[in-house]
Amino acid sequence: MKEAFHRFNDKLYLACLWTAGIAIVVMTIIIPWGIFSRYVLGTGSQWPEPIAILMMVLFTFLGAAVAYRAGAHIAVAMLTDRIGTANRRFLSGIVHFVMLVVAIFMLFYGTRLCIGTWGQSIGELPFIPVGLTYTPVPLGGLVTLLFVLENIFFGSQAQRGVVTYDHIASDPTAESGVL
Amino acid sequence: MDAFVLLGSFAFLMLIGVPVAYAMGAAAMLGAWWIDIPLDALMIQIAAGVNKFSLLAIPFFVLAGAIMAEGGMSRRLVAFASVLVGFIRGGLSLVNILASTFFGAISGSSMADTASIGSVLIPEMEKKGYPRDFATAVTVSGSVQAILIPPSHNAVIYSLAAGGSVSIAALFLAGVLPGLLLGLTLACLCLYIARKRNFPAGRRIPLREAIKISIDALWGLMTMVIILGGILSGVFTATESASIAVLWAFFVTMFIYRDYKWSELPKLVHRTVKTLSIVMILIGFAAAFGYVMTLMQIPQQITAAITSVSSNQIVVLMLINVLLLLLGTLMDMAPLILIMTPILMPVILSIGIDPVHFGMIMMVNLGMGLITPPVGAVLFVGSAVAKLPIEQVVKALYPFFGALLLVLVAVTYMPWLSLWLPNLLLK
Repeated sequence: MKEAFHRFNDKLYLACLWTAGIAIVVMTIIIPWGIFSRYVLGTGSQWPEPIAILMMVLFTFLGAAVAYRAGAHIAVAMLTDRIGTANRRFLSGIVHFVMLVVAIFMLFYGTRLCIGTWGQSIGELPFIPVGLTYTPVPLGGLVTLLFVLENIFFGSQAQRGVVTYDHIASDPTAESGVL
Repeated sequence: MDAFVLLGSFAFLMLIGVPVAYAMGAAAMLGAWWIDIPLDALMIQIAAGVNKFSLLAIPFFVLAGAIMAEGGMSRRLVAFASVLVGFIRGGLSLVNILASTFFGAISGSSMADTASIGSVLIPEMEKKGYPRDFATAVTVSGSVQAILIPPSHNAVIYSLAAGGSVSIAALFLAGVLPGLLLGLTLACLCLYIARKRNFPAGRRIPLREAIKISIDALWGLMTMVIILGGILSGVFTATESASIAVLWAFFVTMFIYRDYKWSELPKLVHRTVKTLSIVMILIGFAAAFGYVMTLMQIPQQITAAITSVSSNQIVVLMLINVLLLLLGTLMDMAPLILIMTPILMPVILSIGIDPVHFGMIMMVNLGMGLITPPVGAVLFVGSAVAKLPIEQVVKALYPFFGALLLVLVAVTYMPWLSLWLPNLLLK
C-alpha cells in the first residue's frame, strides 16, 4: 500500500513537472510569435496573450505542488533549527495541518470558482470559458493535498531520486533555485 | 486587533516553518474569517493575482538568466572583465565586481550571480594569493548589483506590488545609476584593500586575444540591449522583450557558445519550474493577503502611526530604511516586496516620495538583507560555493557592509540617482 502510494505520487510528480515545463516552453514560444505576427505578418493575433496567461496559471499551481514535494518553497528555518526534537515534532504537526487546510481550500474554493465562472468566456477567445483558465487552481490543490498526506504519513520525500534528478551535482543553488 | 490577527498569525506560521507563500494564504484565510469576508472572494483574488499579462515578464526574465548562467556565460563575462580591469593591482577583485555588473545586465538574480561567478572566481582568486574569505565577500557583495541593474525581476515584482501604477521601464532605467554606483563603491573599496594588503596585479591581455574575448561576451550582453532597446523604443512591451530575451539567450547558448548539452535542457526547464512556481504562488497568495490587509485598513493605520512620529522626509525615510534592513535580515526578498510595498506605499506618497525612487530604496535595502545573517540566501550560497563557515564570510564582509550602507544612504537621500535617467528617457 505504502509503496503503491509512493509510486503513484512519483508518477503524479513527474506528470506535473513535465506539464509545467511544457507550459513554460509553450509560453516562451507564443509571445514572440505574437510579436512576429504583429510586425511581420501584420495580422496581430489575439490568441497568444490569453493562452500564455493560461500556461502561466497552469505551471504556477502545478509547479507549486511539485516544489512542495521537493521541499523547495521559501521557508524560515531559524526557529525550527534551534529547538529539540520533541518540540520540532509538535511544530511540524502544526505545519502539516496548515498545509492541509490551504490545500483543501484551493481544492474546494478553486472548484467553486471554476464552476461559477464556467458560463463566462474570454474576450479574445470566445470558445474558452473563464472557468477553464482557473482549473489549475483546484488541480494544484488536489496534488498538493496528496503530497501533504504522503508527507504526514511517511515523512518528507524531498530526497527521492525522482525529485532530485534535476539537481546540479554539488550545486548549492539546486534546491533553492536561481532566485 | 484586526492587524494582530492577520500579521500575527502570518508571523507565527512563518516562524514555525510553514512555507512563506502558504503562511500568507492561511493568514489571509484566518483574517477573512475574522472580518466576515467570504472565502470565495479570497479565491478570486488568488486566481486573479496570477492571471495578469504583465506578470509573464517574471518567468521570462528568470528563464533567460538561468539559461545564460548555466550556458557558460559567466566564464565569458569574467574573461571580458579581466580584459578591462585585470591588469590593475587587486585586479581579480575588480574583475569579480565588474563581472557581476555584466551579469546583472543579463539576469536579475543575485543568487545565480554568486553561484556562477563565485564558482569561477573564488578558486581563481585563492590561487593568485587572495584570502578565500575576502574573495567570497567580494563575490556576494558584488552580486547585489544584479538586483539593481536591469533587467531585474524583483523590479517587476515591485511594479506589480505597487498596483501596476509604476512602470517597469521606469524602474529598469532607475536601477542603472544606483547599480553602477554600487559597483564603483565596491571597486574603490577593493582597490583600497588591495593596496593595503598588497594583492597582485594580473597580466595585460594581448590585443588580438582581448578582441576575441570581447566579441564572445558581447553576444550575451546583447540581451540587455534587446530588452532596454525594445522597451524604450516602444517596439515591445516589457513582457514581450523578456520573451525575446529568452529566445536570444537560448540562441546564443545553444548555437554560438555551444557548451551546453541539448540533453541537459529538460533538467534546466524542470529546475526553472520549481524556482518560478515558488515565486508565482507567492504572488498569488500575496494578492489575497494584500486584499484582506486593505479591507482591514492596515496600510492607513501604519501610515498614521509613522507620520505621527514625524512627517519629515529625512526622518521617515530613515525609519523605513531601518525597518526594511531589519526585515531583510530575517526574510527573503520577493515575499518582503509583496508584503511591504502595499503597506509602505501610502506612507511614502503622503510625504511626497516618488514610487520609482522608493523602489530603488527598497531594492538596496532588501539586497543587503540577502547577504546578512541570520537569513541571507546569497550569503548562504556564497559560503557554500567557497566551502567556508558563514561566520567567517560575515567577518570578511564587514567593510563591504559599510560600502553598501554608504550606497543605501546615497540612493535614499539623492533621488536624482534613481530618477534622472527615467525622466530623461521616458518623458
